[in-house]
Amino acid sequence: MFQTIVLSSFIVVLAGIACHFLISLPKRDDLFGKDRSCKFLDILRIPIYGLTLLLVEQKLNLIGRLRKLLYLLALLCFVILVLNGFYSVLILAEPITGYRIILQTIAGGVFTVCIAILAVMWAYNCRLDKNYWPWLTRLLQHRSKNTTAPEKYELAQKICFWLIILLALPLILSIILSMFTLFGTDGQKCLLHLHRYSALSLALIAIIHTYLLIRTKMGK
Amino acid sequence: MGKGLIIYIVALCSLALAVNTPTDTGQKLGDVTDGSRAVPVHRMNLYNEQGNTIYEKIFPDDDPLLPFSMRQTCSFCHSYDIIGKGWHFNAIDPNVPPGRPGQPWILVDTRTATQIPLSHRPWPGTFKPRQLGLTHWKFIQYFGRHLPGGGAGELDSDNPDEIFRQDVSGKLEINCMTCHDADPAHDQAESTIQIAHQNLRWAAAATCSFASVTGFARDMPDGYDPFMPEPPQDKKKIPPAVTYSQNTFDDKNRVFFDIVRKIPAERCYFCHSNVDVDDNGAEKWLSDEVVHLAAGLTCVDCHRHGLEHNIIRGYEGEIAHSTNPLVATSTCEGCHTTGRLGAPVPKHPGIPLVHFEKLTCTACHSGPWPEQKTFRTKTSRAHALGTLAARKSPDALPHIAYPVFAEQQGGKIAPHKLFWPAFWAYLEDGIVETIDLETLRQIAGKIIARQRPANPGDWRPISDKQIVEVLKSLSARKSAEGTPVYIAGGKLHSLDEKGRLTGAEHEAAQPYLWPIAHNVRSAAQSLGVKRCEDCHSTDAPFYFGEVAIDSPLASQKDAVKKMVDFQHLNARFVKVFAFTFVFRPWLKVIALASCGLLAAVLLLYALKALACVTRVFVGKRLEDSDLE
Repeated sequence: MFQTIVLSSFIVVLAGIACHFLISLPKRDDLFGKDRSCKFLDILRIPIYGLTLLLVEQKLNLIGRLRKLLYLLALLCFVILVLNGFYSVLILAEPITGYRIILQTIAGGVFTVCIAILAVMWAYNCRLDKNYWPWLTRLLQHRSKNTTAPEKYELAQKICFWLIILLALPLILSIILSMFTLFGTDGQKCLLHLHRYSALSLALIAIIHTYLLIRTKMGK
Repeated sequence: MGKGLIIYIVALCSLALAVNTPTDTGQKLGDVTDGSRAVPVHRMNLYNEQGNTIYEKIFPDDDPLLPFSMRQTCSFCHSYDIIGKGWHFNAIDPNVPPGRPGQPWILVDTRTATQIPLSHRPWPGTFKPRQLGLTHWKFIQYFGRHLPGGGAGELDSDNPDEIFRQDVSGKLEINCMTCHDADPAHDQAESTIQIAHQNLRWAAAATCSFASVTGFARDMPDGYDPFMPEPPQDKKKIPPAVTYSQNTFDDKNRVFFDIVRKIPAERCYFCHSNVDVDDNGAEKWLSDEVVHLAAGLTCVDCHRHGLEHNIIRGYEGEIAHSTNPLVATSTCEGCHTTGRLGAPVPKHPGIPLVHFEKLTCTACHSGPWPEQKTFRTKTSRAHALGTLAARKSPDALPHIAYPVFAEQQGGKIAPHKLFWPAFWAYLEDGIVETIDLETLRQIAGKIIARQRPANPGDWRPISDKQIVEVLKSLSARKSAEGTPVYIAGGKLHSLDEKGRLTGAEHEAAQPYLWPIAHNVRSAAQSLGVKRCEDCHSTDAPFYFGEVAIDSPLASQKDAVKKMVDFQHLNARFVKVFAFTFVFRPWLKVIALASCGLLAAVLLLYALKALACVTRVFVGKRLEDSDLE
C-alpha cells in the first residue's frame, strides 16, 4: 500500500514539475547565449545550470554563505535519506538494515540539526511580510481578483518552507520517540506510519521547494 | 419363554456389538467424546498380544501369565492405528513432513570417538540410523529407553539374525501409559530395564504399578516360545515372566487404569528434561519451575492433540506442516496477543518493530540469560536421564551447548542447543558416507580405546597421530570406497598426498542445532529489559558470546566460535552498529533540542501571523512594526 502511494506520489510530483518546466521553459538562447555550439547538449546544460544555481554565491556575506552551506548540507542529507529510505521501501520492500541504517541514522541526525538552524535563519525571510499584505487582505476578505503575490514563485516557496518546518516535527519526533520506552507495539506501528508519511510528504515538498528555488534564481 | 429368551440374547448381542465394534464410520467407542468433561473410568479386561477376543483375555490364574498388550487392550475402544500415526510414533514414516528440526537421537561411542545426530526424520544434518548399521531392532536397543513405543519398535526386522530374537522379545508396542498414567507408582524407567533385557513384550506392563516383570528374554535361545515356555536348560537363566499384584483384577477380571487426558508434566519430563551442567550439579531445588507451570498451566495446555496424536510442537510456521486445528493459536503469539488462558498481553514498549521480524519470541524470552560463554546442558534423551543408565558425570558426552543464538529456518534468530558431530566416514564426490558402527569399533576402537578419558563419560583424548593411524586403517579396507575422513570440531580431517592430516570445511562437519523454547523467561527477565545494550554492545553475548567447539582432538582444544557466525550476519557490521549505541543518547538529545527549536520558530511565527490575521478580522489597520 505504502509502496503504491510513494510511487504514485513521486510520479505525480515529478511529472507536475516536468510539465511546469516545459510550459514555463525560459528561452535557452537567453540562458546559454545564441552563439553556443553543440545545441543538442542543452539537455545536459539545463540540469547542470540548475544545480549551479544552488551552489554558494561568491557575492554572499559570511552569514549568507554559512546559510547556503547549511542548506546544501541539509539538501545532501535529504537526498541520502530519500534515496536510502525509499530504496528499501520501493525496491527491497523491507525495513532498512545493515550499513544503510547507520547511514540513515547519521544523515538523519545531521539533517535534523541543519533544518533546525535553517528554520531559525530562514524564518524571518520566509515570513509573509508587508509586500504580501494587500494580497493577504484581499484573500481574507474573499476578493478573488488579483490575488497574485508580488514575486513569481516566492509565495509557493515560502509556503513550502513552512510546510517543511511543520512536517519536520512529526518526522523527527516519530523516530526519536520510538527510541524511548513510551510506546508499545501498536504505538510503534503508529509512529512508523507517521514517520513514513511525514517523510514522504516532506520529500515531495522539499523537491518542489528546490525546484522553485532554482526557478526563482533562473528568473533573477 | 423360548422366543423371549432368543430376543433377549439377540438384543444383548446387538448392544455389545454396538459398543465394542467399529461403527460404520470406523470410529470406536473412545475415539469420539460424548462431550462429558468427566474422565471416563478405565476399568477393563486385559488382552495379550494375540488379539482382543475372549480367548486372548488375561485371567489372574492363566498359565503362563502373559503381559498385557497395549495394542490389543486399548484398541478395544481406541483406534490404535490412528494413534500410531501421531508425532511421537511416526518418525519412521517418510511421508510425514519433518517440520522444524528438533532434537535428534545422539549416538555416542567414546571407543570410536563418535557423537553423531541420528533421526528417522529427514532433518538436515542428521543421519539415518541405518547409515551407521543400526537396524530398527538395534535402534530400539539404543534409544528405546526414551521412546513411548510404536514406530521402529513395532517394525519387523529385515535382518535374519534378528527375526528370531524379535520373536522371543516381542515388539515394543506403544505404551499409552507412558503419558496417560496418573498413577504415582508408574515407573517409566522400568521400560529402560526391560528393553535392555530384550523384554520388549513385557516393557509396558513393567511400567505399571500393578505388574512386575522378571527374567531376561536376552538369555533365552532363539527358539524360545514365551506363549508355551519350556524351562531353560541352564537353570541360571531366568525366562521373562510377569506377575500381577494381588487385587489387580476385580471380580469380573477387570483391571483399573488410572488414565488421564490431561497429562501431568512429570510424565513429559521423563523424556523432555534438561539440566544445566554447572558447579551446582543437577539439584532441582536450585532451579526455578518453568514460568508457565508455575502459573498453573501444564505442558499439554499448549502441546495439544486429538485422537490422531498429532501434537502441537508450538513453533511459528508449524501451520504449514500440521493439520492440528489449534496449531495457529497454540504458539506464543496465539495466547499472548489474545490473552488466552489468562496470558498477559505484552506491550513491548520501546522495542522497534524490526525485532519482531528478525527474532523469535524465544530469542528474548527463553533459555538462560546469555553469558560470554555458552552453558553446557544435558537432556533426558541425550544423556539417558531418569534411567539407571543416566550419565551423571558433568563431562558425560554428548557435550551440548546452549543458548546459541542462531538463524533458524525462516530467517529469524532463535536460541538453540548445539553439539558438534564427531564421526568417521568415507568421502566420495563430496558426499560423506558414514561407516557401520560395528566395523568402526573393530578398526578405530583398538586404537582409540587405549586412551582413558580424563573424566567419566568424556572424550578419550586422541592425537593427530592416532587419527592418521585410523584413517590409514580405514583406507586399507578392501571395501573402502572413497577417502576416509574424520569429522570433528567443525572440520573434516583427511590425509593429504604426503599422508599428513589436514582439516577442511565441509557441510557435514557443521554443528547440529535445534531451537529451544523452554524455560521461558517472563518480561521482567527478558533480554533487553535493562536496555538496548543487553544485545547492542560491542561485547554482548547475544552476538559475541563464545560457543565452545567440542572435539576429542587435542589440537582443537579450547577452540571457540562467535555467536554471530551462526546468525549469517557480518560481524564487523554488528560491531559498528553496536558502537553507534554509544552515541544514541546524544542523538536523542540533539534531535529533541532541534525539535524544540523548530517548534519555537513555528510557534513564534504562528502567533505573529495570528495577531495580524486577527487585526484584519477586527478591522484594525496594521502598522509596519506588526509586519516585521
